Amino acid sequence: MPNITVDNETLEFDGRPRLLQLCLETGVDLPHFCYHPAMSAPANCRQCLVEVGTPQINRETGKPNLDENGQPIIQFMPKLQTSCSMDASDGMVVRTHKSSELVKRAQKDNLEFLLINHPLDCPICDQAGHCPLQNQTYKHGPEGSRFEFRKVSKPKQIDLGPRVVLDGERCINCTRCIRFTDEISESHQLTIIERGVRNYPMTPPGVEFDEPYSMNVIDICPVGALTSKDSRFRARTWEMSKTASISTVNARGSNCYYWVKDNKIVEITPRTNMDVNEYWLADEDRLDYRIFNDNRPLGPTISGADVNWDAAYKAVADCLKGAKGDRVQFLGSAFATVEDNYLLSKLATAVGASTPMYLTHTEAGRGDTWLRTDDRTPNSQGCERLGFQPANRSALRSLIQSGGLDVLYVLEDDPVASGLCSAEDLAGVKVVLHYYNSTNQTLPAADVAIPAATAVETVGTLVNDQGHAQRLRPAKSIAGVNRTLSMEIGKCRADRHGTPFDKWYDESNLINCQPGWVSIPRIASDLNIEMNYKGPRNIMAELSSANDAFAGATYEAMGEFGVRLSEIGVTA
Amino acid sequence: MGDFIKHPFVDMPDRNPEQVIPNDQLVFTSEEKKQIQTWVSHYPTADGAVMRALWLAQEKFSFLPPEVIKLVAAEIGIPYANAYGVATFYTQYFKEKKGKHVLDVCTCFSCQLCGGYDMLHYIENKLGVHKGETTKDGLFTIQEAECLGACGSAPMLQITNGPFVHNLNKDKVDALLDALREGKVPAFTSVTLPQDEDEMGGNRRTDVSSVESYIVPPISETVS
Ligand code: SF4
Ligand code: FES
Ligand code: FES
Repeated sequence: MPNITVDNETLEFDGRPRLLQLCLETGVDLPHFCYHPAMSAPANCRQCLVEVGTPQINRETGKPNLDENGQPIIQFMPKLQTSCSMDASDGMVVRTHKSSELVKRAQKDNLEFLLINHPLDCPICDQAGHCPLQNQTYKHGPEGSRFEFRKVSKPKQIDLGPRVVLDGERCINCTRCIRFTDEISESHQLTIIERGVRNYPMTPPGVEFDEPYSMNVIDICPVGALTSKDSRFRARTWEMSKTASISTVNARGSNCYYWVKDNKIVEITPRTNMDVNEYWLADEDRLDYRIFNDNRPLGPTISGADVNWDAAYKAVADCLKGAKGDRVQFLGSAFATVEDNYLLSKLATAVGASTPMYLTHTEAGRGDTWLRTDDRTPNSQGCERLGFQPANRSALRSLIQSGGLDVLYVLEDDPVASGLCSAEDLAGVKVVLHYYNSTNQTLPAADVAIPAATAVETVGTLVNDQGHAQRLRPAKSIAGVNRTLSMEIGKCRADRHGTPFDKWYDESNLINCQPGWVSIPRIASDLNIEMNYKGPRNIMAELSSANDAFAGATYEAMGEFGVRLSEIGVTA
Repeated sequence: MGDFIKHPFVDMPDRNPEQVIPNDQLVFTSEEKKQIQTWVSHYPTADGAVMRALWLAQEKFSFLPPEVIKLVAAEIGIPYANAYGVATFYTQYFKEKKGKHVLDVCTCFSCQLCGGYDMLHYIENKLGVHKGETTKDGLFTIQEAECLGACGSAPMLQITNGPFVHNLNKDKVDALLDALREGKVPAFTSVTLPQDEDEMGGNRRTDVSSVESYIVPPISETVS
């Protein structure tokens, strides 16, 4: 296998990796700004400089010339090289700042240049704490600035588009944002304008930076030049905890981090998963977090009156107890996890009802060929794989209207808002509703209303439109629960810097709700139905061995990045 | 540049300017289109032709408002943003309306030492406008330029991205402005390359016979 030597250590490689990428992957920490693995390398920030040598080749024999010790003679290039734009080649010898004073000096001086016109006001910058420029300056930069002139003032606080704000002074002109719009999203809405010290990124006149993926430039900007209009200056990065989970806005289940402060979601950022969303996250995936924070229920209710959890569960059991199986309709939910839907189907079977159906929520035209889908739910594929059929809305509506149902059991959905039937239609039907938000329009018609944990408060599995089964992890705690939620989360979570500050232990904004895998077994036990699981991990273990459509989808296998389920059982 | 060091402020361009060239005039003729396509065919990718196409557009419309840049981008088939970035990069592309004659007076090192600023200020006084401004009659715009590559005949100026006027002095400026007012633009005089110097008797000017001042280089009034 070809190899290169970096600071006297040998690294093996395959193919033709770029030198910087190879170093980063093998744990050699090289400073850099403009390089991004998904994009071309213009080598304009000059921060990744290294000394590079290659074996001297004898022109006659085509073999490397050897020194007296039998080692190949290495010829170093006269100038430092940008490792981001250089391919690794066999026998290459590289000296980084760890072994070369020259490289060290180059990195330091380059940072001094980059900082000449960059404001040195990190304490008031939104990027502080997660800023590559700040971090690298601490690690490799000069102690101070020798620049005695006025720094260049450029436009600040400019809305490039509806969601991205520019601070031109902070920009180091790495062109990552430009290359994103040119090479990745291909919206071509940004360019660097002007030249020399005057340049900064901008839209051409008459153009707004409003593409549906615009916010990705915020994440890749290595300084605080591009910030999110929505979440800028709302929380410092070290005040938040972040949880690796997945987005639930559409059927793609793009991997993301939920950033939480005081048990409220503040921001959603992408998490790299090369099988699903690579490095990117659509804007819609980032902005819908208010449903997790606002209009949340206060606790369970019976016909609108507050009750305690035990009373609510008992009331649900009473609804189901007397009812004839064929006059009970269970509605599963494409918003709920596989585990909760699975338990619901067990409950349905136990009370003699038919397999649950689920309501589809699609919006034609919302999808594209990238990360957005027409399907506005995260788990319709999971419902399908459980054997749930999409509800035939008109048939179900006439059944309700003609008095053919005694009980409608709705898991985490809103039949009224989605147009299945009106609240009045449900007057003669006993409605059990697990719901997320007090704005749920079925709520007035509900006999028993059970506040349900949302995607950021529960543990579970969702299957995306491509059959990728992935885990949800709880990003914030809920009221009345052991805060480790069945040991699925550590007691102490690390913040961005790996410091185990315990961001969980905050009593504010705790929502009084329950995950389906807690509430459904409780209801079952009130009905004397056996449903004993230690938690969602066991439910999934059972399901993955019992149902071919979920074969292999254990928590261990899904891990951080999920598993691609086989095509079996796909009916959609 | 001197002013910029003292007052380093970069302004925002107008992000939603009014269209100045009416739509019915905002077209290339078929010859122009053909010419642009020939240029496009000279490069591996279409964006190679952007500079020549912008140049052609500037000659046609006298300057490059956004709608013209957009037209050029569409004609060669590259994103509007890219063409706009190129147009703003070069000061020789005029993003706003200028006078009929744009006088780029060089004040970079060599010219400055030989009186570039004297010449600039002389022209400013004479025309009653500052650099960056256009005379009321719309005839002249004065600009300060960085090195235009004719240091050998400093101080110098360039007329509307075209002919150079070398070895400036006040008389020469007077004569130049009079000529331009009459619509007479001086002919282009090139700078001799070092390898041709011998042939020219050590002179670096093709028009050496017609230029007195070269024999006695002008000395700035402030440098003596
Ligand atoms: S705004 Fe950020 S990403 Fe864009 S060029 Fe400047 S530093 Fe790079
Ligand atoms: S990362 Fe190599 S030059 Fe910017
Ligand atoms: S300094 Fe004026 S032309 Fe070079």
